[in-house]
Amino acid sequence: EMEVDEPEISPPKKKKNKQRVLLLSSRGITHRMRHFMNDLEVLLPHVKKDSKLDSKSQLHLLPELADLNNCNNTLYFEARRHEDLYLWAAKTPNGPSIKMHVQNVHTMDELKMTGNCLKGSRGLLSFDKAFEDTEWGKLTKEVFTHIFGVPSTARKAKPFIDHILTFSILDSKIWFRNYQILEKDPLQPSGPPQMTLVEIGPRFVLTPIRIFEGAFGGATVFSNPEFISPSAVRSAMRREQGSKYGHRKD
Amino acid sequence: DDAVPRQKIEIDNTVALARIRETIQLDKSLPWTETLVLSYPETIDVDLDDDLKRELAFYKQALHGATAARTLAEKHGFPFSRPPDYFAEMAKSDAHMERIRARLLDETAGIKKSE
Repeated sequence: EMEVDEPEISPPKKKKNKQRVLLLSSRGITHRMRHFMNDLEVLLPHVKKDSKLDSKSQLHLLPELADLNNCNNTLYFEARRHEDLYLWAAKTPNGPSIKMHVQNVHTMDELKMTGNCLKGSRGLLSFDKAFEDTEWGKLTKEVFTHIFGVPSTARKAKPFIDHILTFSILDSKIWFRNYQILEKDPLQPSGPPQMTLVEIGPRFVLTPIRIFEGAFGGATVFSNPEFISPSAVRSAMRREQGSKYGHRKD
Repeated sequence: DDAVPRQKIEIDNTVALARIRETIQLDKSLPWTETLVLSYPETIDVDLDDDLKRELAFYKQALHGATAARTLAEKHGFPFSRPPDYFAEMAKSDAHMERIRARLLDETAGIKKSE
C-alpha cells in the first residue's frame, strides 16, 4: 500500500449504519406467505427482493447471491408442505444465521388493524428486557437491529418518525408488532399532546430453532430444546385423536 | 399429553454466541439516530393465552419506546414529528384505508342496532 501525504485534513466523516437485506423465498410458498413477505418489503426499503430459490438444498448459494446484490444481510423464507413456514435471518457472508419457525401470521391486509405509516419510513425498534437475559437473545437482538432497522441513507427514509416495531420474548418465542405513533389523541384533537398508538401490522411469532455460526451453515451454537417441529405436533394430535376414538369404542 | 416425541440435546454455547456477537456488533460510537434502537426495561410476564392482557403488554412496551424515542430525538436534534403538510405514499393504500373505515362504520352501525 502506498502512503500519500495529504496536506488537507478532511472533515471527520459522519458514521453511518450501512445495511442492505436480500429477501427471498423457496418454492412452494402460499399466497398468504407471499403477502407477508410483501408487507416486510413495504416496511423495509433497504430490502432487495430476489426471485425464488430453486432448490432447498442450495442454501450455500445464498451468501454469494446476497453479495452480488450488495447485501450484507439475508432473510430467507422456506416453505414446507405448503403449510409450514421457516425464516432464516443471516448476516452474509460470514454469519451467524438464525433459523426460526414462523407462526400466527396476520398480514397488513387484515381490516382490524387500522393504523398506517409512510411507505419506507424508518421505524423505531423496541426490544424487551428478556433479550438481554440470554446470549442467544443478545445475538438475536443485534442481528434484528441490522435487518429490521431502516438505515438513514435508505432511499425512502423520511426525516421523522411515524411508527415503532416491537420485539418481545414470551414463552421462548419472539412476538412482533408494528404500531403507528399518533402524537395527538384523535379523540381530543385540541387537547394536550398525548401519544397514542394504533396497530398497523403485520403480526407474527418466531420460535428460534437453531443458531449457526456461519451463513446458512457451520457449527450450531444454539439449539432450542423447546422447539417441536410442526409435523411432530400434528402427528401427536392425530395420535391423541386416534386413541380417544379407541377409548370410545371400548 | 405433551407432544414431546424424543429427548432433544440442548446446545447453548454462550462463549461462542458472545464472541460471534462481538464480531458483528455495530460501531458503538454510532449515534442513536443511526439505529433507532430502544431497550424496554421490563419483560413481558403475562398469560400468553389472554389476548387482551398480552396485547396491552406489547402496547405498553411500544408506548414506552415511542416516548423514550421522542426525548432521545430532541437530544440529538433529530426531527421526530411528521410535518402536517408532508404527503407521500403510504404503506396501506387509500383504497385499503377506505375499506377499513367502511368496516368500522359497519361495526358501529351493528352495535347501535343491537342496542
